[in-house]
Amino acid sequence: MSRAWRAAMLAALLAVLVVALTPYVWIILTSFKSRLDALADHPVWLFTPTFAHYPKVFIDKQYLPLVWNSALVASSSTVLSLVVGAPAAYVFARNDFAGKEDLFFFFLTTRMAPPISVVVPMFLLFTAVGLTDRPAAVIIAHTSFNLSLVVWMMRGFFADIPREIDEAALMDGHGRLGAFARVLLPLAAPGLAATAILCFILSWNEFLYAFILVAFESRTLTVGIPGLVTPHGTLWGQVAAVAVVATLPIVIFTMAVQRHLVRGLTFGAVKG
Amino acid sequence: MRAGGARLGAFVDRQLSVLFVAPAFVVLLIILVGPFGYMMWTAFTDLSFALPGHDGNFVGFANFRRLMHDSFFWDSFFLTLRFVVAAVSIEFLLGFAVALLIYHQVTRRRLVLTALLVPMMLAPVAVGLIWKLLLQGDFGMLTYYLRAAGLLGTDQAVLSDAPLVFPAIIAIDVWEWTPFVVLVLLAGLMSLPREPFEAAVMDGANRYQVFRDVTLPLLRPIVALVVLLRSIDAFKEFDKVFILTGGGPGTTTELLSIYTYRMNFKDWDLGYGAACAFMVYLVVLILCAVFHKAVFWQEGRVSAPAPEPVAVTA
Amino acid sequence: MRKHQTSTQVRYRRWGTAGGLALAMTLGASQAGAWNLEDAAAPYRGATIRTIGESLPPLEALAKLKGKFEKMTGITVEVEMYEHSEAVNKVMLDLNSRRGRYDFIIQPHRELGRFVENGHLVSIKKFMDDPKLRDPSFQPEKVLYPRLWKEISWYKGKMYGFPFTALNMFTWYRKDLLANPVEKAGFRARYGYDLGPPQTLDQYRDLAEWFTRPGKGFYGTAIQGKRHEALWYEWLNFLYAYGGDMMKTASGSECGPIIVNSPEAIAATEYYKGLMKFSPPDTLNYFWDDVMALMQQGKVFELIMWDDATYAVAVDRNVSKVVGKMGFAPTPLGPAKKRVGQVEGWTYLIPKYSRNQEAAFLFIQWMMAFDQQLEQHLNGGASARPDVYADSRVQALPYSKAAMESNEAAIAKPTIPASPQLTDILVRELSSYLAGSKSAKAALDTAAVEMHDLLGDCAPLEYPVP
Repeated sequence: MSRAWRAAMLAALLAVLVVALTPYVWIILTSFKSRLDALADHPVWLFTPTFAHYPKVFIDKQYLPLVWNSALVASSSTVLSLVVGAPAAYVFARNDFAGKEDLFFFFLTTRMAPPISVVVPMFLLFTAVGLTDRPAAVIIAHTSFNLSLVVWMMRGFFADIPREIDEAALMDGHGRLGAFARVLLPLAAPGLAATAILCFILSWNEFLYAFILVAFESRTLTVGIPGLVTPHGTLWGQVAAVAVVATLPIVIFTMAVQRHLVRGLTFGAVKG
Repeated sequence: MRAGGARLGAFVDRQLSVLFVAPAFVVLLIILVGPFGYMMWTAFTDLSFALPGHDGNFVGFANFRRLMHDSFFWDSFFLTLRFVVAAVSIEFLLGFAVALLIYHQVTRRRLVLTALLVPMMLAPVAVGLIWKLLLQGDFGMLTYYLRAAGLLGTDQAVLSDAPLVFPAIIAIDVWEWTPFVVLVLLAGLMSLPREPFEAAVMDGANRYQVFRDVTLPLLRPIVALVVLLRSIDAFKEFDKVFILTGGGPGTTTELLSIYTYRMNFKDWDLGYGAACAFMVYLVVLILCAVFHKAVFWQEGRVSAPAPEPVAVTA
Repeated sequence: MRKHQTSTQVRYRRWGTAGGLALAMTLGASQAGAWNLEDAAAPYRGATIRTIGESLPPLEALAKLKGKFEKMTGITVEVEMYEHSEAVNKVMLDLNSRRGRYDFIIQPHRELGRFVENGHLVSIKKFMDDPKLRDPSFQPEKVLYPRLWKEISWYKGKMYGFPFTALNMFTWYRKDLLANPVEKAGFRARYGYDLGPPQTLDQYRDLAEWFTRPGKGFYGTAIQGKRHEALWYEWLNFLYAYGGDMMKTASGSECGPIIVNSPEAIAATEYYKGLMKFSPPDTLNYFWDDVMALMQQGKVFELIMWDDATYAVAVDRNVSKVVGKMGFAPTPLGPAKKRVGQVEGWTYLIPKYSRNQEAAFLFIQWMMAFDQQLEQHLNGGASARPDVYADSRVQALPYSKAAMESNEAAIAKPTIPASPQLTDILVRELSSYLAGSKSAKAALDTAAVEMHDLLGDCAPLEYPVP
């Protein structure tokens, strides 16, 4: 019974994995297909690959700088969110004061504002201060939603660390600032890593703010994707190529750091 | 160990806490409250980039009165509500099942999880395009196999068929975000303390009872967290649905975000669009407040309070 | 010349006369200001002007041509290319924030009313009247299709720019299939007249029916049924052919009685839906992009499509399987029995906030010259100059004749500020009708009422809805 059950469960898991991965595999394959193969009546799994789409998009259409733009925006907003958010999260974790939960909930609510409506006022305000068209505009905009994520998640991670550790650090002669910087932060590192990973992904993948707030030269890969859906035929090969390059870094990045992601989320720091 | 829920006092001293919290608060105040406050104000004006003379004059509640009678808005609202409820429920149930499966049956958990995470790592814009390619009526791979399996008529295509397209976008959302649910729930499962389980087993509880009386209560905060996060995000769903259907055919997939997009970026009726956004925000706010109170955020993160003793069978 | 002068004297006199004449001409020329681009652009040498448009062949052609201008004038031209709605959004935001990022813009003519009435544009007449900037050899009133220029780039009697493209829709069909004797015999037997290009809407329908063979993956036609403005454009062809229109006005910049729910309009809309059964199953998911791909793949017999997409179907072997098999004709005649076409185009415009207006004007003027227009047209553009169409190289393209006829019969569309909203209303209602959720009359009535609510008294309902 148990054997059959286990086999069935594993088969189910395999099915789930196939469903999860096949669409992505398909777009990767499509990026190497000629137009005729891509638009064929029957799905084509075996074909002679063409590598023409990638240079056409990245060199002819000059999409290569967009990779750098995406990396710049994502890493900057992640770093900014962590630097600003982690200390605040620490205070929420350790202190108690009137209106704390309400203030915390306020941080939460900032995530709820529909970007569609906030983006136009944001654009107008950024223009008024002359920030539009610079990557800084998008970085700040992304920080606006990543910050709440950081505060929310890091509060839990910090609270997870027993207060005895803080007290011990103080007794060891660290100031409160030092206790935070030299003792707490390293202990919360897995949590920080997990949060950083999620922030990076969200920022890299974001479309609306990146499109509206930034100039042509500074646009990110995600913004570049719809640009290939033209009235002269969606160039599926090229669209696939951009989609692959836009997503592959994140996929590889996450696979490389998944250990930290899972560890961080399991609050593995102090689990017995 | 830790005293759960006891007063913490001012552990971090006043000045330092201000120093720590202030930047975050200020940043949020400027970025979000600034544009957000401006948007709120706009909801009470007639601001339109398209119509001349509509420069942002105060009009009181006119936009909201119009909203009350706007059947397209309310259709969109309830459509979005159905979308959120359906998608999040399925994501939760499926995600939970898969998380349990991985937890109990798989040793190389992280490997499996990483593969599973791929859908959620893709930019939603890319997800929209990928599924557009798969469901295309003439050369879509999935269309072909659905027809071969008899699930789809040869004269049907998913994205053009009014009864099929709404379930389709729910299914695609499930595909994209269930991995997230799996991630959080699996992490939660892996971080549960052992003692309550050992105690329950020693007390003779069977697997079902353990699950019901130990696992579920312990996981309750995490479950609430993930359902809450997904619900908020599902309400704002835009990128992939817009690329896939544009809100059509007709208005069968016109989610609130798409409706607001048309208001803001096609009609450029920013005052009205702001009023719509205000309504959405209000609804999400209320839902979250309810959730937040219902699942009290425990000090000491998303672990459980000390579990109730499991029923002792003599 | 005097008689009896020595030859030497005569020679010197000739030289003197010739030299004197030459000198006089040079002096006279600079005094009379014989215009040339280099001199006109001299004060702006070193400036950079930036523009934005849709990333399609016409703009790509401009990007290739601009090098010549840059060399002649020392003015750098930067071109931003975006997808259609992104190009429109970016400009709207730029203009409304008064940022002045773009020194000139290229926008769909439908947006013109919005820009003008919100005070964002400079009339191009200002520069046309300036002898320092105006090239006397450029006479738009003589060299452009007058009605197209008026509808695409003028608003309420004032000129704001020149057409970047003058687009139109007409019939595409597979002429190779029409030559097939088996098809000919079968068609004649079934319908009682000879197989030939669709000249009337009835024939269009019959041909679509005849060529619909789902078993072979071939369809008579394909409608652009997605909830997208492509739907509206395509529907307009049938609306016009039935004698209908959106509003009763003399020009696009006017507001007039709404006739979108007239009996002709309803009939046209029902005819349009009738084509769905001769279209592939995914037809409600198609916009211009998809139907073009179908034709390129040889899966459909006839379409009503854009002239700026014809190159990719009829000429470019890299992407099309039906090169050499395509025939083109104006939109078939409907019950109104008159030739129809659409006025559609993207226009050059100069924003008020541009900091390099003169330099921008010089570039636009230069692009409108015959040489540049011809070059652009041959590379996938759609010029508004009849002399370009008359050129032998353009005449050699298979679609030129149909394009010219359609241009001459083109009907204006609204350009008033609310016009994109009108389009949106119609797209939504038509899409709902096609999806089967309401009748044609209900859809058009709803649209008419909403249009009236939006426009107010200047647009009464000609066919009131109870």
